[in-house]
Amino acid sequence: MLKFVAGRFLVSLAVAFTISFVTFFFLNIFTDPAQAVAGEEALFEEIEQIRTQYGFDRPILTRYFEWLGGIFTGDFGVSYYWNKPVGTLLLERAPQTIKLALMSVSVTIMVAIPLGILAALNPNSIIDRFALSVAVSAQAIPNFWLGLILIIIFSVTFPIFPVSGDKTYYHFILPSLVLGTSSVPPVMRLMRTGLLDVINSDYIRTARSIGFSGWRLVTKHALRNAVLPIISVIAVQLGHKFGGSLITESVFAINGLGRLALLSILGADIPTVQILIFVFAITFIVFNLLSDILNAYLDPRLRL
Amino acid sequence: METPLLEIKNLNISFNISKNIVNTVDNFSLTLKEKETIGIVGESGSGKTISMLGLTRLLPKQAFVDKGSLQFKGRDISNISNKEFYQKISGKKISMIFQEPMTALNPVYTIGRQLMATYLFHNDVSRNSAYNRAIEFLDKVQLTNVKERMAQYPHQLSGGQRQRVMIAMALINSPELLIADEPTTALDVTVQKEIVGLIQKLIENLGMAMIFISHDLGLVSKTCENIIVMEKGLILESGKADDVLTRPKENYTKNLLKCLWSLDVDHKKIHKARTLLLDVKNISKSYQLPGSILKPKKIINAVRNVSFEIFKGETLAIVGESGSGKSTVAKIINGLTKMDSGEVLLEGKKIDSYSPLERALRIQPVFQDPYSTLNPNHTIGFIVRRPLLLNRSLSYDEIEMKVAKTLDLVGLSKNFINRFPSQLSGGQRQRVAIARAIILEPKILICDEPTSSLDVTIQSQILDLLNELKERLQITIVLISHNISVVKFLSDRVLVMNNGEILESGNTLNIINKPKNNYTKKLMSAIFTVKKKV
Repeated sequence: MLKFVAGRFLVSLAVAFTISFVTFFFLNIFTDPAQAVAGEEALFEEIEQIRTQYGFDRPILTRYFEWLGGIFTGDFGVSYYWNKPVGTLLLERAPQTIKLALMSVSVTIMVAIPLGILAALNPNSIIDRFALSVAVSAQAIPNFWLGLILIIIFSVTFPIFPVSGDKTYYHFILPSLVLGTSSVPPVMRLMRTGLLDVINSDYIRTARSIGFSGWRLVTKHALRNAVLPIISVIAVQLGHKFGGSLITESVFAINGLGRLALLSILGADIPTVQILIFVFAITFIVFNLLSDILNAYLDPRLRL
Repeated sequence: METPLLEIKNLNISFNISKNIVNTVDNFSLTLKEKETIGIVGESGSGKTISMLGLTRLLPKQAFVDKGSLQFKGRDISNISNKEFYQKISGKKISMIFQEPMTALNPVYTIGRQLMATYLFHNDVSRNSAYNRAIEFLDKVQLTNVKERMAQYPHQLSGGQRQRVMIAMALINSPELLIADEPTTALDVTVQKEIVGLIQKLIENLGMAMIFISHDLGLVSKTCENIIVMEKGLILESGKADDVLTRPKENYTKNLLKCLWSLDVDHKKIHKARTLLLDVKNISKSYQLPGSILKPKKIINAVRNVSFEIFKGETLAIVGESGSGKSTVAKIINGLTKMDSGEVLLEGKKIDSYSPLERALRIQPVFQDPYSTLNPNHTIGFIVRRPLLLNRSLSYDEIEMKVAKTLDLVGLSKNFINRFPSQLSGGQRQRVAIARAIILEPKILICDEPTSSLDVTIQSQILDLLNELKERLQITIVLISHNISVVKFLSDRVLVMNNGEILESGNTLNIINKPKNNYTKKLMSAIFTVKKKV
């Protein structure tokens, strides 16, 4: 198991380095950082002056390692657009996004998993049909629309929750409902089909032949097998959500990473953009690593 | 008279298939005394397993018990609640062993945990005593290093070992009745005999009754005192094993027996003219399992330095258990896999120098599973016709003539041309697969386990067909099989393979009757045959 974790960790590290390399090179080769700082209207001399002043004239590899070294020492560079260190920007914005991500994934888990289990235990019943229609609707409804409708109902007509903002946890309830709903369908479907497969498997028949039945059969013999694929899907969902949700953050006026990313891209703020891409990639890698380890812990066949 | 352990009277089980009620078990009755053993024999779909699942309440969702009385130790158990049944009967009084040891154990829990859970479910004891009980039973089923086994997961065990664990699990609560559903069918032949021996010994020692379900009449007659023969949901006949075997009343049983006997009879001519057709010289093939950063690549030598010759018109059988490399050899000859070293000469020419088309004209395969080797979207006519379209420029009429003639040759009427594979039975499908292989009039037919996914009576028909084609078309057959009876029936010469090497080769009867190699001896002794009694 330890060997497995170590192996996965090394692979993840290699992926992280590759990503840092690719992002940095793409952004610094296909755009001109000096031009980006100087602005559209800048004169040639101004651009060249900025180029030497900021050190953009040095070889790209030197700059890459400098940048990478900076990340390791906690210096993420300075945003020309926001006039702040990128690290400070991240610290300002990340908590909102993390809160939203964790709360919305909780919503997903709380809705999708019980619904999936009930649907699998009663295939083709009314519960199953209901679960399926929930999935279809959740998939069909656009986030911004659901957001607006929830605001109209729960903030305007019945003022239970604040309309927008990110001051308290209260502010996050409606947005996490919206964001959480969007990932209900894949998780629920997977839970349903996964558990159905397991229930029809030979080893569940064995357990039944021993006398296990009902809820005990599901929790003691089937759930661990059925939950394996769910873990990977939830890891991906978490990874997505840690990247910030542009639409939901916009509708509810939450100052998270999604909006930071949008504004930085529009402002051609290369230092911020490249750190954001790198951070998003790293969170993805970390969640994948965690889900691999958890899966291997639960399923001995994966520990090879 | 004492009360029987189990008395089933007029059990009817039906399937509800999209609102149609289909009766699958019709008036099944059985009386089993304590410590008695009964074998239920029949082919797939005969209702032998379903009737037992009806008893143990493990029927698939669409199936239900229509009517019938189930008396266990004088008590009617057909009407007791599920709760009571699960708590007091299943796993405690009646245990089951299933066919597939590979999937019957939960892959994510250790052997020990599963055994202990089985014991703890029905017994209010400490975990410690459950642990000891589990160890005791792993010992009973003759597993080694039992303490380490407890911490192992099912995938770390071989099929035979898993089936032993299954047996331990079924017996750990000391049930009074054991139902064994084809417990050895999925295992290698040499392991089969050990497992059957083990089951027999244990039920005798523990004083249990047993219902043994199998399609193998030979096996059942060796294992059980009484036999029930089933076909299409009906009990055809029942009685003492010896009586049924020696004086079968029903035609169906006679047929089953005939299949066993006919496989026992040798009717082969040794071909005098020996023209070398295929010359296999020192071929080797290894597979590499993908490694990772920390794990070195693993190399499996599937075929090691194998040489043999095939002469025109003969039937050569390559025998071995799964993993012996016999199928890899077939794939190499077929051109489906490249060998690492060595050479194969077909009519004196290197086989690699033939184009795929030229090779296909000379060598054609017939595979094991006719359910997956025919494209379900094409008609039989299309499937059989297709090789002709690819290979020859014949006129439409000529092609149709040829298709009809070939179908006739394999015993299918012209009516089959427009049918789809799903409308055919397993045996008919295999006939189509054979027709597709012989329509190009190849020199060599490579049959990889051509009958092992078919029922016994169908098996003998397909074997008869192959034998007939061999005579009529003068075709050379390479038969890949683990089934000695099939080999004996069809082949002139035999190669015995194990671990990628040829252990022994020679005339079929010599190998079967006077095996020299120890492994071959083991392989031959593992088959259960019924000797015809006069």
